Parts: sequence; C-alpha cells; structure tokens
Amino acid sequence: MTFAQRKQWRKDHPFAFYAKPHRTAQGVLDMKRWECGIPGKKGTIWEGGLFKLDVHFPDEYPTKPPKCKFVPALFHPNVYPSGTVCLSILNEDEAWKPAITIKQILLGIQDLLDDPNPESPAQAEAYNMFKKDRVAYEKRVKQVVKENPAI
Amino acid sequence: MTRDTYLKRSLGTQANRIRESRVLLVGAGGIGCELLKNLLLTGFGEIHVIDLDTIDLSNLNRQFLFRPEHIKKPKALVAKDVAQKFRPSAKIEAYHANIKDSNFDVDWFATFNVVFNALDNLDARRHVNKMCLAADVPLVESGTTGFNGQVQVIKRNVTECYDCNSKEVPKTFPVCTIRSTPSQPIHCIVWAKSYLLPELFGTSEADAENLDYSEDADNVQELENLQREARALREIRQSMGSAEFAQKVFDKVFKEDIDRLRRMEDAWKTRKAPEPLDFRELEETLSSVEPGISLKDQKVWTISESLAVFKDSLDRLSNRLKTLQASKDGSAVIEFDKDDVDTLDLVTASANLRAAIFGIERKSKFDTKQMAGNIIPAIATTNAMTAGLCVLQALKVLKGDYDHAKMVFLERSGARALNSEKLNPPNPHCPVCSVAHAKIEVDLSRATLNDLVEDVLRTQLKYGEEFSISTELGLIYDPDLEDNLPKKLVDLGIKTSTFLTVIDEDEQPRVNLQLIVVVPSAPPSDESTIVLNRIPEIPRKPQAPTPPPEPETNGISNLGKRKRDVDESELNGDPPTKRVASVSISDGVDKAHPIDLSEAEGGAILIDDD
Repeated sequence: MTFAQRKQWRKDHPFAFYAKPHRTAQGVLDMKRWECGIPGKKGTIWEGGLFKLDVHFPDEYPTKPPKCKFVPALFHPNVYPSGTVCLSILNEDEAWKPAITIKQILLGIQDLLDDPNPESPAQAEAYNMFKKDRVAYEKRVKQVVKENPAI
Repeated sequence: MTRDTYLKRSLGTQANRIRESRVLLVGAGGIGCELLKNLLLTGFGEIHVIDLDTIDLSNLNRQFLFRPEHIKKPKALVAKDVAQKFRPSAKIEAYHANIKDSNFDVDWFATFNVVFNALDNLDARRHVNKMCLAADVPLVESGTTGFNGQVQVIKRNVTECYDCNSKEVPKTFPVCTIRSTPSQPIHCIVWAKSYLLPELFGTSEADAENLDYSEDADNVQELENLQREARALREIRQSMGSAEFAQKVFDKVFKEDIDRLRRMEDAWKTRKAPEPLDFRELEETLSSVEPGISLKDQKVWTISESLAVFKDSLDRLSNRLKTLQASKDGSAVIEFDKDDVDTLDLVTASANLRAAIFGIERKSKFDTKQMAGNIIPAIATTNAMTAGLCVLQALKVLKGDYDHAKMVFLERSGARALNSEKLNPPNPHCPVCSVAHAKIEVDLSRATLNDLVEDVLRTQLKYGEEFSISTELGLIYDPDLEDNLPKKLVDLGIKTSTFLTVIDEDEQPRVNLQLIVVVPSAPPSDESTIVLNRIPEIPRKPQAPTPPPEPETNGISNLGKRKRDVDESELNGDPPTKRVASVSISDGVDKAHPIDLSEAEGGAILIDDD
C-alpha cells in the first residue's frame, strides 16, 4: 500500500468508514497491515454497527489481493470462521484486479453485509440460518450490531 | 610459473587487471565451490568468500572442496583452507556469517570490483542485488535448478537488476484438494507433512503454511467436517506411547476419514472413489517386509513396507517427543525437516498409504524428500558449467565491456546447451534499481526526523510538501504523520546502514530517492546533525507507469516467461525453463554466441565468444 493510496483515501472516503495503517510502538506505520472499520448500511439490519476489519497486503500486492479479516470473526454467511471475508474481488482467481482501491474493497464488503452471496458460503452457522430461518438470522444480526456499535 | 604463463597467453594484458582485482563471492555451496576454484585458477588476486552455512553430508557429492571430516564445519572457512592450496599466493578472506549482517554495509560492498552471487534463496539474492546497486558495484548473479543454469550480469543504470522482473512465489494448495480430493503425489505429501505430522507432533493445522483456506468457498460443510476430523485426531494424541497408538492413528486417517469421504458422493462422480485400508489385514503381511526397509530410499515401498515404516517412525517420533517434553516444559513439538529422517520416514510412509487409497502413484523416500523439501536436485555438472560462465562474464565486466556481457542460459532439453542474449536496459519502473542514491552522514545521538525532512529534503533537495519516507519497518513520515517529526531517528529504528526511501508525491514526481545512513566522517558540528555527502541528481519519473508485474515484450524476447526464478521450484514437475534455442533464431537476428555441444565433433566444445 502506498502513500498515494493513503492520500487518496484521506481526500475521499465514504462517511463513517475508517482505514489506517497499523502503527507500531515506535510510531512507524506498517503499510502492509491496515486497520479498517466498515459501518452497516442505513436502512438495513446492519445499521448502527461498525465492524473492525484487518486488511493485510501481501508482498506480491498488487499482483495478489489483500486479505481481509473481520476481528473478531463476524456472523455472516460469507465470512469464514477465522474472520476472513470471501468475496470475488478479493480472490486472485476471480475478480481481483491490481487497480482495485481500498475504498472499493471496503464498499464492496459493506454491500456484502446485507446482500450475502449464498453461492459461496463460508460458515455453516450463518449460512444455514440465512437459508432456513430468516427471522432468527435477522435477530442474530441485530445482536451482532449491538455488540459492535458505531460510536 | 607455467600456469601464469598460459593465463597471460590467453588473457593478455587483462591478466594483470585480474590479479589486482578484489572480488566478493557470496555463497560457498554448489556453485560457490566451483567458482572459488575457477577464480583462483583464473588468477584473481583477492577473493572474499562468505557463507553462513555449515557442511552437511548431503553436500559432499558436488561441493568438491569438502570431505567427510569437514562435516559440521563452516563452509566458508573450509573452502578457503582447501582452495588456498590451488594458488597459495592469492589472498582469500573467509567469513562464516550472514551477508545480511549490518557490518557488511554499502561501503564494504563498494570496496570490490565485482560481486558474485552463488546463493540458493530469493531473500539473500535480493539483498545483495540491492547492496550492489547502492554501492554501484557490478554483480554476476547465478543459479541452477537441476539441468538448468543461468548467469546474469547486473550493473546499475546499465542493465536490468535482479528485481526488474517479478519472481514467482511458492504455490499454495486449496485445503480441500489436500484433505479431501487429492489427485497427485504432491497432494498426499503435503497432506502428510502439513496436516498429519503437525496434528500428531506439532502445532495445530491452522498454522500450516502451504494450505490455503481462502478458496473452497463452495465447500463449507466439508470444511467443518475437516475441522472435526482434525480435533478427533488430536484426541488420539493422548494415547501416544501406548501399543495401540499406531493402529488408532491408522484407523482414523486411513479408514474412518476415508469412509466418510466416500459418502461425499458428488466428489466421486468424476474421479475414482478412495478405498480405505484395513490395519489388521495389512499387519499380517508385515512379516514379509525385510528389516531396514526405511533405509532403501530409492525404492518405491509397497503398501506393507509403507505400513512397517509408518509404525516404526511413529514409535521413533513418539519417543522423541516424550523426551523433549520431559526436558522442556511440555510445549515441545517436532516439525518437519527434510533432513530429519524420522519426520521424512513418517511423511513418506503416510503419503504412500494415502496415495494407495486414492489410486495415486507412490513415491520413493528420495523423491518425497525433494518434493516435501521443495528442492530440486543439484547437479554437479550444471553447477560447474554455470560457475565457468560466471567467470567468462566477469572478464567482460572487469573490462567494463557491458555491450558484450550477456544473460546466459544453460539447459539440457533445447537444441543447444547454451543460449545467451543481450542484457536488457533497466526497467524504468523497477522499484529497486530505478531510484536515485545518496548517502547521509547522521549524528545518531542527536538527529531528529525533522532535521531530515526540513534541512535535508526540503532545503537541500528541494522537496515540496508531499512526500513520504519509509524504512524496511514501514512508513515513518508523510504529511499525515507529522507527530514523528520531533523524534530522534534512532527511536524510529534507524541506525547505520539503514536504507531510507523517499517517495515524491508531487504533481510531477521525481524518482524515488534511496538514502543510506553512514557514520559521520568528521566530528559532529553544531549546526547540522545530518550531512548529505553530495547532492544527487533526481530525475522526474517516467510518464504513465504501467502495472509493474506485466512482462515486457520488446520484440526480441518475452522475459516474463523466460526468466523463471531458479530457486523457486515447480511442484508439478515441469522443468522451470522451457525455453528453446529457436527463440533467438526466429527473431531474425541471432545475437547469441552459442557453445555447441555437438556429438559429431567428438564431444569437442566450440567456444564462440568474443
């Protein structure tokens, strides 16, 4: 991740999101590890939540996409039990392109929150509930939102 | 001396230059041993050789300076002692050390006329490349894999550097291929090495490095099952040391888990369903297995033989773990090491049992070692030829004759053994070599980041508002990160030999500037804590940067395809270099000067080289 992208983000980032490189004890910014926050979209069951995401840029970036991981892992059909997000634009063999920006990634993940992709389930719990019992699913999501409030 | 007479005759006046030159050889292994001998016999007057490794039994077949009595001794020191006899008058300095140590700084690199890389890993190659660029010393880079070899001359601002082209990275496997649907021997080997062995004797599976959990998204159920299986296997660990341990493990991974996989009917519509193994049945055949079968590493073990080694190696590893845990705090683990026979035996035997289940070809212990250890056999002849090519290139480098220096490829499969091509100019977008260089003398006891930003960069080097500074640790300054300014540079992790990269983010940016921290030559003055040695020329960046990893196609060659990195092995068994000699011919102009290994000439080697 370069300074240019940091600057771009500073100039133009969507409301209520944040993205900042990890800062070491010495005050050095590790540009390979970003700490980001994704708010739930207004008018959806995710509204009111702010979900913390670790974005890790591999050495081969931008040939390879960054790895995005919710910390703690998020209850969502497309989030692995480890917290890793399963999304086509984050997959090297699918829709990843070196030109995709951090803003596009974070907006893409925000969209995914309320619009899960049942084609690629990543955790059984959220997936099964989403498919079989939508009421229980929504109740659970609202609980998750309560646990991760936007301040 | 006769030898020098002949050297003078073939090299002419260059013999003197060679005798007076001072060269650095990084690595005293396969290529290094050959190259040290070559350099001495060519008459190089002063040779510094560095290697951090010690001699292993497995080196002796090709690293000809070493003998059994040298095992466990430092390679560099033994190489010096043995090779010194070839030319007692030469000065050889040996270092048993890591080339990345900070005392081998840019100034030290700058004392050499040529540097030779005879390394086996990407990381050290990159480091030496960077140091040689910073010191402006020519580098002769070399490497071999099996029958393929490669020699490349690197000179700052003249040729491509090692990092001008992107290198391939080691492959990872989707976890479901490894755990549920293997189809190649390597899948079984990775399963044994990265799943079975760690679950039984190491740390848990989530840490396995060559398993990729991010794929297989459509297989959520299966992933959960696999986690359950791993937990069950871990429970079997409790019975380690008991007589039933081997059978419990066997029944779990070669029967129960396979039975469960068979119920995943969708998976076996297009491939053959796995057949579980029966421990009792197989055990009855063990009496026919000859003792000491595990020592036969070239033989592909039968299923019975694999079971014998499986049981035996489990015993050995269990006992070792017990001892380790008794002497340590119980957190002891045994990790895979290709040179640790017990782990290699377990991996080979288990991989073969699994291969039998899935109808996959079994592999010998020798082959398994190559594949599991990610290694390609090193061949003495390839190393020797490559080392010879290094010297031929170095002769041109010493003359400064970069027009005739070459990138040379050695291979067995093409029409010719050797192919060469002209060196390409530097990639203008290369982040490593297309930079401006400067040294800063820093009074580390006082200098702050603000001194660097204001006094050096803004005032002396005319940087504007928008730029960033980073070290290997990360970003230390940009316009959003001003609170580091009052800090001392040492507190930001900067010391002598640290490389600082200044990236201009102006409208029309200049190329990146690389600053190297050196010790002040004069006693600290009161005015400035940082002194710039000289004002470097920092040109503007070329317009419209293209995405860097795309290979360039300039009509002569496709480097991205050809310049495969030699130390990154190909797990699927394809030879890394598929380049054929016809490439340079079909381009119309044959710029190559091949060495023709022609049978008709009675094996004579015709060297056509200017």
